[in-house]
Amino acid sequence: MSTPFLSVKNLSKTYPNGVQALRGVSFDVNPGEFLVVIGLSGSGKSTLMRCLNRLQDPTAGEIFFEGHDIGKLKSGEEIRALRRKMGMIFQHFNLIPRQSVLKNVLMGKLGQKKTAASIFGLFTDTEKSEALSNLKLVGIADKASLRADSLSGGQKQRVAIARALTQKPALLLADEPVASLDPATCHVVMDYLKKVNQELGITVIANLHFLSLVRKYATRVIALKDGEIVFTGKPEEITQEWFQKIYGEGTQDVAPDVL
Amino acid sequence: MLRRTFFDAFCFAFLLCAGVVAVFVSAEEQLLNLIQDLVVVLVALAVGAGISLLFKKFKIRTLGSVLFDLPTSEQGHPWYRSFWGWQLIVLLVVSFAVALAKTEFSFVELLDQNGFAGAVRLFKGLFNPNWEVLPRAVLNIIETIFMAFLATSIAIPFAFVLSFFCAKNIMRGTVGYMVYLILRTILNVTRSIEALIWAIIFSVWVGIGPFAGMLALMIHSVASLAKQYSEMVESVEEGPIEAIESTGANKLQTIWYAIVPQVVLPYISFTVYRWDINVRMATVIGLVGGGGIGTMLIQYQGQAMWREVGCIIVVIAVVVWALDLASAHIREALK
Repeated sequence: MSTPFLSVKNLSKTYPNGVQALRGVSFDVNPGEFLVVIGLSGSGKSTLMRCLNRLQDPTAGEIFFEGHDIGKLKSGEEIRALRRKMGMIFQHFNLIPRQSVLKNVLMGKLGQKKTAASIFGLFTDTEKSEALSNLKLVGIADKASLRADSLSGGQKQRVAIARALTQKPALLLADEPVASLDPATCHVVMDYLKKVNQELGITVIANLHFLSLVRKYATRVIALKDGEIVFTGKPEEITQEWFQKIYGEGTQDVAPDVL
Repeated sequence: MLRRTFFDAFCFAFLLCAGVVAVFVSAEEQLLNLIQDLVVVLVALAVGAGISLLFKKFKIRTLGSVLFDLPTSEQGHPWYRSFWGWQLIVLLVVSFAVALAKTEFSFVELLDQNGFAGAVRLFKGLFNPNWEVLPRAVLNIIETIFMAFLATSIAIPFAFVLSFFCAKNIMRGTVGYMVYLILRTILNVTRSIEALIWAIIFSVWVGIGPFAGMLALMIHSVASLAKQYSEMVESVEEGPIEAIESTGANKLQTIWYAIVPQVVLPYISFTVYRWDINVRMATVIGLVGGGGIGTMLIQYQGQAMWREVGCIIVVIAVVVWALDLASAHIREALK
C-alpha cells in the first residue's frame, strides 16, 4: 500500500478547562474512503474533526495530510491554505440566513479570493456557474435565488454540501450531518454524500449516530469512547455486543435495521 | 466575604453618619471641612466593619450576608423576626428621612398661595399658545432634527468599525484583549459624560450654535452605538463563523460574511432609535447653547413669555411623538 491520504498519530487534545477530549488517537484514511466515526456525545468526535481542519489546535500528536504534518502549522496563511482543501458540513448547517442560496454556495470560494473582491461581493461568471452546477449536483438548482432561511432542514444541508464542494476539496468532513433531520431526509442527505464520495472521488469522514446508517454508507468505521479509539473495522463487523460496548449497556439503536 | 463585610460596613457607617449629623450638626458650614468629614466617615466605616464581623462571629445573618453569601440551610424565620429584615427597614426609613431633609421637601411651599397663583399664570400661558411664533419654531425644530440626523449619520461609520474592535469574541489573544480593554474604557468614559456636558465643551470650542450641538450629539452617539453594536457582535451565533472559517476565509472575510449579515438588522434598529433619542437630546442641548429649538425655548423662558413657550412645547411634543411612533414602527418591521 502507498502512503495513506491522511494519517493521524497519537493525537491528543486537552481544552483549557482541563477536559481531555482526545487521548492518543491514531488512524489512517485512504483516498476515496467513506470513513464513519461513531461514539457517544462527548466522546471526542467533533473535536477530532475540528483538529483535522485546525478549527481547534491539537495539544499533542501528528496529523499527516498529503505528506505534511498539518498539526504543527502555525501561520494563519498556512492554516487557511489547508482549510481550502477540506470542506466541512455541520449538524446545524451553519448557512448564512437572509442571504440567497447561491450566495451561500459562493462562500465556498472565499478562501481562494482576494479580500477586496470578496468584500464587494464580486464573484466571476465562472464561479457562479460552478456554484450552480454544484447546486444541480445536490438537486436544488431551482432554489438558487431563494433565501437560505426559507429552506427546510434537508435542503439546507444539501446547500451546505454544495458550499463545501465549491471549495473543490480533497476531503469532506461531515460533523453529524443528519443529527437534526427526520429519518426520511436523513437518507436523502446521506445519499448525496455517497454520491459525492463515489462520483467525485472525494474522501468523506462523517460523524454518525445511527447504526443502520453506518451499515448502509460507511466503507470503514472507527468508534471513539472517552477520547480513545475502541473499535476499527468494517461496518458489518459491529455486532450488537460491540455496539453496546461503544454506547453502554442496554443501548438499542434508534432506527433498527429494516433495510 | 469581602463584599458582605464592605456592604454591611457601608450600611452601618451610613446610619452612624446620619446619626452624627442629626445630633451634632446644626449648620451646613460645619460639613465643609473635608479632612474632618473624611475622618468621621472612615471611623464610621471601621466601626461598621467591626460590627459586621461581630455579627459574623455570633452567626447572625446581616443584609450583606443574605445578599452576597451562599444561602445557608437554616430554617427560614419570617422576615420580621430576622436581623436583616429590620436592618433593611431601618436603612430605608433613615434614607427616606435624609432624602426629605436634603430636598427641602415642604407641603407649605407646594400649597403656598402666591406660588400657586404664579403656576396658574404659567399654565394659562402654556395652554393658550401664541401661534405667531409657530413659523420660527418650525424652522428651529427642523434645524434640531437635522442636527440629530447629521450627528447620527457621522457616528455610524465610526461606531461600526469600533464595534468589532470592542467585541470580546473577535478580539482574541493577548494583544486583541488589550485593545478591547483600552477601547472599552475610552468609550465608557466618553459615554458617562452626558451630551449636555459635551455641548458646553463644544459651545466654547466652536461657538454657540447648532454645530456645537451636533458635535456633542455625535461624540455621545459614537460611544453609545459602538457599545450597543459590539454587544450584538458578541451575541452572534458561532456556527456560521465556524462554517466560513472552514472554507479558508481570512478574518476580514469571516467578519463580513458570517457576522455582518447577522447584525445588520439590529444595527439599523439601534440607529433609528439613536436618531430618535438624539432629536430629544438635541432639544435639551439647545438649552445650553447647542442651537435649534432648545435655544429658542430658553430665550422665551428667560423672558417669562409663557404663551410663546407654550407654542414651542406643542411643536416639540408633536415632533417627538411622531418620531417615536415612526421609529417604533420601523424597528418592529425590522425584526
